Formats: sequence, structure tokens, C-alpha cells
Amino acid sequence: MIRFDNVTKSYKGQPPALGGISLEIQKGEFVFLVGSSGSGKTTFLRLLLREAVPDTGAIWVAGRNIGELSHWRVPSLRRNLGCVFQDFRLLPNKTVTENVAFALEVIGRPRNVISNQVGQVLELVGLGQKGDRMPHELSGGEQQRVAIARAFVNRPLVILADEPTGNLDPATSQGIMKLLDRINRTGTTVVMATHDVGIVDTMRRRVIELDRGRLVRDQARGVYGAAEDMTTSTRGVPAVAVAAGLDRMLGAEPTTGRVAAVRARRGQR
Amino acid sequence: MAVSFEYVAKETATNLWRNRMMALAAILTVAVSLSLVGTALLLRQAVNRQIGQWSNNVSLQVFMDASASTGQIANVRSTIAQTPQITHCTYLDHAQSYEQAKKLLASSPTAIEALTPATTPTVFRCQLRNPSEAATVSATFNGGVPGVYQATSPSQSIRVMQQVTNVLQVILLVIAIVLLVSSLVLILNAIRMAIFARRREVGVMKLVGATNWFIRVPFMLEGLVQGLLGALVAAVIVLLSNLGVGYLIRHYKVSVLGSAVLPAHDLVVTELLVVLIGLVVGVAGSSVAVRRFLDV
Repeated sequence: MIRFDNVTKSYKGQPPALGGISLEIQKGEFVFLVGSSGSGKTTFLRLLLREAVPDTGAIWVAGRNIGELSHWRVPSLRRNLGCVFQDFRLLPNKTVTENVAFALEVIGRPRNVISNQVGQVLELVGLGQKGDRMPHELSGGEQQRVAIARAFVNRPLVILADEPTGNLDPATSQGIMKLLDRINRTGTTVVMATHDVGIVDTMRRRVIELDRGRLVRDQARGVYGAAEDMTTSTRGVPAVAVAAGLDRMLGAEPTTGRVAAVRARRGQR
Repeated sequence: MAVSFEYVAKETATNLWRNRMMALAAILTVAVSLSLVGTALLLRQAVNRQIGQWSNNVSLQVFMDASASTGQIANVRSTIAQTPQITHCTYLDHAQSYEQAKKLLASSPTAIEALTPATTPTVFRCQLRNPSEAATVSATFNGGVPGVYQATSPSQSIRVMQQVTNVLQVILLVIAIVLLVSSLVLILNAIRMAIFARRREVGVMKLVGATNWFIRVPFMLEGLVQGLLGALVAAVIVLLSNLGVGYLIRHYKVSVLGSAVLPAHDLVVTELLVVLIGLVVGVAGSSVAVRRFLDV
């Protein structure tokens, strides 16, 4: 689905934001992109969206080399990528329904298709009753659900999420992760840049770690911190507990208390 | 992909309303500058028509004595035919010449009363290959040809008037061009502000894969509407000024100036030109703004 071939990108007068990245992400994978600020996560996502082009190397998305994409084909690339951001980026003067419908309107979908799909996706994200609200009337978690609905309403192949839980409290974050997981189960590839240790450690999905533009780790069922073995990686929380936590998190209702307890035990960062 | 008309209309209207002060400034500047353009064009046509009427597109007139014999007239006719500088000539007999004189002297009824068809001199009205040769050619007829009363060419005053209106037109057009440029810049700025006001929407549109034209069209259309509205105001001003001049001429019975009021056809052509220039200014301003400030 996504392939990076020795991709380098640097901005003027600075050390490379990405240096020689090669990796492949399969269809339907759920990938965490971790690393400190300035490690190149955002550049990685910007390159995928073709908001920037690589200096060297090639990026393939759904079989197309997007570095060689002509200008007028960029929109069709972006229709296959749904984007979610830390700051939601909703339009403040439109209702929830209008915000989601906007994404279909501006790519010229017919009216009946729009109302159909918007209704469905709002049910999916659990906002079926709140279509007429304005963004400022919603909580942060609900706003992010609207943003996810907007990203997913056109059924993209890939969802790119740049710290989608960065502005949310842990319980709300869990709800968002449940939603992203549900979307992932429909076969949609999810690439999520994050700093949230708890989420990465609980979900146990593929982790790609960047450090100063270098790919330093690519681990299936990985955790946030670099780890040689399970014990150190989860910082004292047994793997069984983590797995149990994951199950509960994906299955049961979010429980703030449990997450807080886990964090406390870890000596929360 | 078809851009939905409803969507574009809605977006354009919203943009214009949100930015109404800027839009108003742009529209009024377009209106003022195009009124000047229209006025300059009308002035030119009116003056040309009036001068044409006065001199009847004739650069030489050979008046015969009222009592000139048929032989003398035939003689003059053959002299004219042998003069290479004269390209074309028409002869007005007593009745035709009298009608013509009545028109020209409409403002002084006493002069008309003094004339009868029989006392009005018949006249050859001639066009010259080159109007500047009028003096030389008229000299050959004024040199005592039997039966010829006088040969004349259009008076100096008409030429002075033509030159004055030419200068006036140039001044009007220069002012109009300066104003057109400033209205283009105003439209450009209005569109730039509209783009800035909608940067969130534009950002989302880019992210979800709206095509470049889809993003651009409402802004372009906004500029076009501003140009068009300004042009329509200008067209109304031009129409009113033409009607006003016509009314004044009729009211004060200045029938010598009768031809300064343009016929409907010329007026329509001028108005269309004004509207077209308005559209071009609007589209040009907004295209520049879209290209410079909307990186899609």
C-alpha cells in the first residue's frame, strides 16, 4: 500500500528531516509512527500527502510513484488518503453534518450520495444524534470524531493521523483509538504519529520509530520505548496485563480509572 | 468533474457578502473608470458624426451661381471629371440644395425665409483623394471659371474642434486607464482577502482532494462579478449621460448639434464594449490573485 524507497528530504540549511528511509506498509496494517519532536514524523506524513516531494528516493502509494505525480493528479491521490490532526481542523461555521458533507461536496459527489454516506459515517463514529450541532458545542473528543468521520466518509485506502489524541484526555483518547481500530478493521490502513506511550503500549501494533530523520526501529506488535525484551519495554507491566488491557480497551467501555492506575504504576512520563 | 452550479453560486455570494466593503470599493472604481471610457468613446463618435454631418464627408464644395446656365454646369462637371485629385462628386440641384440649406440653417429661421429653391445656389459636393489638397483644388475653381460662385473646403474651425476633442479623448482615456489599473488592483486585493478569510476551507478542500479548479472557480467568479457589476453601473451612467445630452439638445433646440445624440446601434456597441472591459478587468484581477495567493 505504501512503500518508501531510500527517501531523503531536507529543508533549507538544516540537517535532513528524513534521511534514507526505506519501509513498506501493507494494506490493512495499523502503524504507529513514534519519535521525539523534530524526528521527522510530520515530514513523513507531508510526503505521503504530497505537500512536499522527496529530494531523493521514491514513495509509492497504491502502486503510484507520488513523487512523479503531475500537479493535476494530486487531488486524486488525496482522495485516497484521509487526514486527522491534533487540532481537528473543523470549519467553525458549519454544523457537524455540513463539515462531513463538505468533504464530499468539494469533490463533486451527488447530493443523494452525500446525505447517505454522511449519515452512515456519523453513526459509525457515534455522533448520529449530533449532526445539527456546531463544532464549538461539542467536546474535544466529539470534535475529533467529526474530523475522523470527515476523513473516512469517502472511504479512503489510508487514514493518516497526526497526533489525533494530542489534545485529549486519556479516557477520550481511548475512545478515539477504539474508533480508529474499528476503521482499521474495515481494511483501511492506518498510519498514526503519536507521543502517547499508553496508547502505543496498550495497542501493541507495528511501531516505526524515527530519530533525527533516521529509521531506528521497525517492530511488529511493538511498544513506545526502545526495547530488547518485554519486561523492560512495558516498564514492569506484565505482557499478559497489557494484552488484557488491550482486549478490555477495544471491547469494553473506556474506564479512566484503569488507565490512570496503569500510568501511575509506570511512573508516568 | 462537473463543478456544481449551486455550490459555486452559493460560495461566490457568501464571499462577496463577507467582503462587501472591499467588493464595493472595487465595484465603484470599475464603475467610475468605465464611465470615463464609455464617455470618451461616445464623445469620439458624437464629434465624428457631427463633423461628418456639418461637412457631409465632403472635402470640397463648388457652389454655382444661382443663375448658372446648363452649359456652364456641364462645363464644370467635365472639369471636375478631369481633375485627378477628385475621387467622387455629387451634384445637388436647386431643390436638393434648398433642403440641405434648411437643415444647416435650422437655428436661424430668418435666413431660411430669405431663400427660395430658385435662389439657392446648386452645388457639387466632392471628395478628394487627399483632404490636404483642398486648397490647391479649390483655387483652380475660384480662378474665374464661368458660372462658379465659390469653391470652399471645410473651415479651419472644424479642424480645430477635431483636434481639441482628440486631446480631450486622450486625457479621458489616460485617466480611465489609470483608474482601470487601480480597479484591477482593488479586485486583486479583494480576492486576496477572500482567500485569506477562507483559508481553513481551502486547507480542508486541498486535504480531501478537491481539484484546483474547484477551489479556484468561486474566487475567479467573485472577481468576474465585481467587474461585471461595476461595468453595469458604468453602462447605466453612459446611457443616462447620452439621454441627458439628447434632452438638452432637444430642449434648447440646438438642432445644429442634432447628430451628437447617438443612434441606438452605436450606443449598444459602446455599452457592450464597456461591459466586456469590466469582465476582462474582473477576471484578470482575480486570476492574478488566485495564482499568487492560492497555492493549490
